[in-house]
Amino acid sequence: AALRGARRLPPALHRGLAKPAGPQSVRQLKEAEEAAPVFQYVGKAAKRKDRVFVWGFSYSGALGIPSFVKPDAGWKKPRHIQPTPYRLETEEKISSAACGYGFTLLASSTTDITKVWGMGLNKDSQLGFQRSRKDRSKGYEYVLEPSPIPLPLEKPQQTRVLQVSCGRAHSLVLTDREGVFTMGNNSYGQCGRNIVEDEIYSESYVIHQLKEFDSRVVQVVCGQDHSLFRTKKGTVYACGWGADGQTGLGHYNITSVPTKLQGDIAGVNIIQVSSYGDCCLAVSEEGDVFGWGNSEYLQLACVTETTQVNVPRHLPFKIGKIKEAACGGTGNMVLTEEGNVFVWGYGILGKGPNLIETAVPEMIPPSLFGRSDFNPDVRVAHVRCGLSHFAALTNRGELFVWGKNLRGCLGTGRMEDHYFPWRVTVPGEVVDVACGVDHMVSMVKSFT
Amino acid sequence: VRGPQFRRLKIGAGHRLDVKASGVFVLGIGHGNKLLTDLHNCHLTKVYTVGGLFGKATDDFSDTGKLVEKTTFDHVTREKLERILAVIQGTNHKALLMHSDIDMKTQEAYELAVRGLIRPMGRSPPIITAIQCLQLALPEFQLEIHCLHETQQYLRKVVHEIGLELKSSAVCTQVRRIRDGIFTLDDALLRTQWNLQNIQNAILDCQLKVKTELERTLD
Repeated sequence: AALRGARRLPPALHRGLAKPAGPQSVRQLKEAEEAAPVFQYVGKAAKRKDRVFVWGFSYSGALGIPSFVKPDAGWKKPRHIQPTPYRLETEEKISSAACGYGFTLLASSTTDITKVWGMGLNKDSQLGFQRSRKDRSKGYEYVLEPSPIPLPLEKPQQTRVLQVSCGRAHSLVLTDREGVFTMGNNSYGQCGRNIVEDEIYSESYVIHQLKEFDSRVVQVVCGQDHSLFRTKKGTVYACGWGADGQTGLGHYNITSVPTKLQGDIAGVNIIQVSSYGDCCLAVSEEGDVFGWGNSEYLQLACVTETTQVNVPRHLPFKIGKIKEAACGGTGNMVLTEEGNVFVWGYGILGKGPNLIETAVPEMIPPSLFGRSDFNPDVRVAHVRCGLSHFAALTNRGELFVWGKNLRGCLGTGRMEDHYFPWRVTVPGEVVDVACGVDHMVSMVKSFT
Repeated sequence: VRGPQFRRLKIGAGHRLDVKASGVFVLGIGHGNKLLTDLHNCHLTKVYTVGGLFGKATDDFSDTGKLVEKTTFDHVTREKLERILAVIQGTNHKALLMHSDIDMKTQEAYELAVRGLIRPMGRSPPIITAIQCLQLALPEFQLEIHCLHETQQYLRKVVHEIGLELKSSAVCTQVRRIRDGIFTLDDALLRTQWNLQNIQNAILDCQLKVKTELERTLD
């Protein structure tokens, strides 16, 4: 017995760690599996996180990531274009975003002191006065990071910002109880205040407040050099540049005070207004669409032959009840109640390279947005327009873009134009998107 | 003269099937091997039923592998799973368009895209054309996957990645091919039916189907 058991070490020298290796029996494997620790990565009541993704032309700082313009290490090159969605870290949940011509505004509906952040071009103080850290009397011309915009609110801890909108060189901020704040270039009265001759707009502290409307303003929209306000009663006010009739007030002059629009929308309850270039569209509660402004690209050619329309005209389309409209620079898009998308105008409209211009709305087949026999209930939920590209959000949270890919603004990763709707791969469910001239911002909810 | 009817047969196999997987497996006999290559060039989709189990992660993504990690899965709901599947389908649809070698700027590319007929006609990485959740009974779930150019190990990897995306982990318990191009489970012969008469009947039944499919695709 002593010889046979000589392999065993005496208890004092036994480390007790080494086990004989070899194929383990099924029972041993099962026991090891049951004894293994269980990791919990997320609990049962985990909330989905809200994120912001940006893409497009980044060298103006409009994307809000400073390392794209001024890299952290000396050997790195600045990134001019971000062709795919890139995550932007924000302190608060962003509820509304708007892209202007080289700048972006982000707003959150919080009751904290900082409610609006801006980044990008600031040569006309469209982001307010951003005090430079090197010289306290000067302001920044380009803002590379989302910087808070100080709004002169009377009750900053009770007012909430509902929406922001950006035009070529001016921006509008809509609050729930203190009216509309406007800042930026006012050479055509687009900020709603009197035009001062030879006013220097850069490094200006002026933020104007607009309160005199017939009821509470619920939507603000910026065109290229004009502003539109929609009130709760369904009336539309406009101010700014009017040479193309985009103010819709019956004349082609500049307006510096918001004035009510008449024409075909007098007395009609308007539920949505849209504009980005020089053409404007309004959707009424009954589902009719009205248009005014520039019509050089056949946007309003179904009612008139003239190239400028300065009074809102009803567009008699027989495509069903319209839910939402979006205006681009040369093309327009509407979404009907059934979830179909109709486009008309000029440019890359989304029906292949052969369709360059049309005055009558053409439907984009729903199979391009993912509807098939396998998924019959995929519908487009929202439509948005940039200057020469279009975006559509489906009810599944997917983002489709098409149009001219100016400096990577489509976000698909390829620099070529897309002639029909193409998916953008975003790691999350897209809730809202804002289109600009050459960049886009999207508000996304994570999956789990 | 007496003797066995067939002494030597040339048999070729269609798309591969794993040892751990099961389902429809297409074989060609004699002159049918030439039809096999033609069918392969048609690039038709195959449909699989994939069964998975939440809570475990193994090294070879199936439940017989070495355990890597165990996680909780009580936060997984059908809604979250369907969201993940919708995204997988979306990115694979994009890959389908990109690998199909058609210039996206032409009008005919637009027409094919509207009808849903764009697909890669050459070599491409595995692409999932459609994915759907058949049932979810925690911890088990079952998916139906329509795919192209795939291997069964890739499908197991997809199950593992779904588990990761849901912030848990998953292993694949079952892979079963229910359709391979035009051949479905109804045409397949069970192990007990492997005799000459059944094989001859099966070949006669499928002849017409194969001919019409080949004419349709290779026109």
